[in-house]
Amino acid sequence: MTLTKEEQNRLLHGMLEMGDLLLNCGAEVSRVEDTLERMTRAYGAEHVEVFVITSIISMTLAFPDGEPITETRRIHSGGGTDFFRLEKLNALSRECCIEPLPLPEMRQRLDKIAAGHKPFPAVFWGSVLTGGCFAVFFGGSVWDGLVAAAFGALICLMQVWLGRTKLNTVAFNLLVTLITGLGVGFTTAVIPGLHMDTIIMGDIMLLIPGLAITNAVRNMLVGDTISGVVRLLESLIWAAALAGGFMVALVIVGLLH
Amino acid sequence: MKDIVIQLLAAFFGGLGVALLFGMRSRHLLPAAIAGVLSWAVYLGMDAVTDVEFLSCLVAAAVAVIYAEFMARWRKTPATLFVIPGMVPLVPGSSLYNTMSYAVRGEMEAARAYGTKTLLCALAIAAGISFVTALRELQTKKQ
Repeated sequence: MTLTKEEQNRLLHGMLEMGDLLLNCGAEVSRVEDTLERMTRAYGAEHVEVFVITSIISMTLAFPDGEPITETRRIHSGGGTDFFRLEKLNALSRECCIEPLPLPEMRQRLDKIAAGHKPFPAVFWGSVLTGGCFAVFFGGSVWDGLVAAAFGALICLMQVWLGRTKLNTVAFNLLVTLITGLGVGFTTAVIPGLHMDTIIMGDIMLLIPGLAITNAVRNMLVGDTISGVVRLLESLIWAAALAGGFMVALVIVGLLH
Repeated sequence: MKDIVIQLLAAFFGGLGVALLFGMRSRHLLPAAIAGVLSWAVYLGMDAVTDVEFLSCLVAAAVAVIYAEFMARWRKTPATLFVIPGMVPLVPGSSLYNTMSYAVRGEMEAARAYGTKTLLCALAIAAGISFVTALRELQTKKQ
C-alpha cells in the first residue's frame, strides 16, 4: 500500500489515537509500542521510531518516498482497565496487520471503539460481586459479604458520579475511602456481629492499585524502566491516599466507640 | 477443609466479579473466573509445602499466567484479559488493610511487618508474571 503525504499524516494521527486508547484501557507500554510498530509497518512505513511511557507517546514514521514525520501526544491515563475496548482494539490491530484497512475505515473503527464504553450494568454488578466475595475470601461471614457488596455498589456509583467531575485520582481515593470507611464503621457499630475489617478488606479490592503496582514492577523487570518508575510512584501515592482515607475514617469511628 | 472450599468459591466469584468490573465480554467470563480459582488453588498448594510466602505467590502468579497465555492463544485475545482476574486473589488487600489498621493504633512494629509483607507480595506477583512473559517472548523471537 502506497500512501500520499496527507495519508501518511492521517495514519500517524490515527496511530497516536490508537496508542492513547490502548494505554487508557490498561495495555502495557511494551505492548502499545509493539502494536503501533506492527500496524505502521503493515501500512508501508519503512522506518518506525515509537516511544511510549504512561504519560506520552512520541512517534516518527519514514516512508520510502518521503521525509520522516513526527507527532507526540500527552496522555492523561488514570490507570483504568477496560477489557471491552481492549479486545476490540486488539482485533482491529490484528486485521490491519494481515490486510491494512483503507485509512478512513480504520479511523471510523477507532472512533467507534473510542465512543463505546464498557456496559454499566456489568460494572455495577461486578463491583457488588467483587466486594462481597473478597470480604468472604478474607474470612468474613456471609453477612459481612452482603454488607461489603452493598458498599461495593456505593463505590461503583461514586466512581460514576465523581468520574464526571474529573477529580484527580488522589483526591478521589481519599474521598471515596473516607465515605466508605465511615459508612462501614457506622453500619458495624449499629448492627452487632459484623466485622469491620473483613468488610473493608473486601471493598479495598475494588480500589487497590494492586494491578498498577504489579504492572509497574513488571515494566521495570522487562526494561521499560521509566514507565515502571512513573507508574510505581503514582500507584504508591494512590495507595497512600486510599490508606489515608480509611485511616481517618477508622480514627473517627474509633473515637465514637 | 471447609475454609478452603469457601476461599476457592470466593476466588472463583471474585475473579468473575473483577472480569465483569473491567467489562469482559460474556463469552470470556468463565475462563476468567477459572483463572482466579486456579491461582488461589496453586497458592494454597504451595503454602502447604513451603513456609516462604514469596515463593507461593510467585509460583501461583506464574501458573496463572501460563493458563492466561494458553487461553489468549485459543480465544485470540490479549493475555491481559485472563492475567488480571488470575492475579486478583493474590493481590495483598488484607495486608494493606492490616498495615494501616496497626499504624492507626500506633503499633508500628506490626504495621511495618505487614507493610513489608504487602510490598513483597506485589514483587512476587510481578516476578512470577515477568518470568513467564520473558520465556514467551524468547519463544516468539526464535520463530
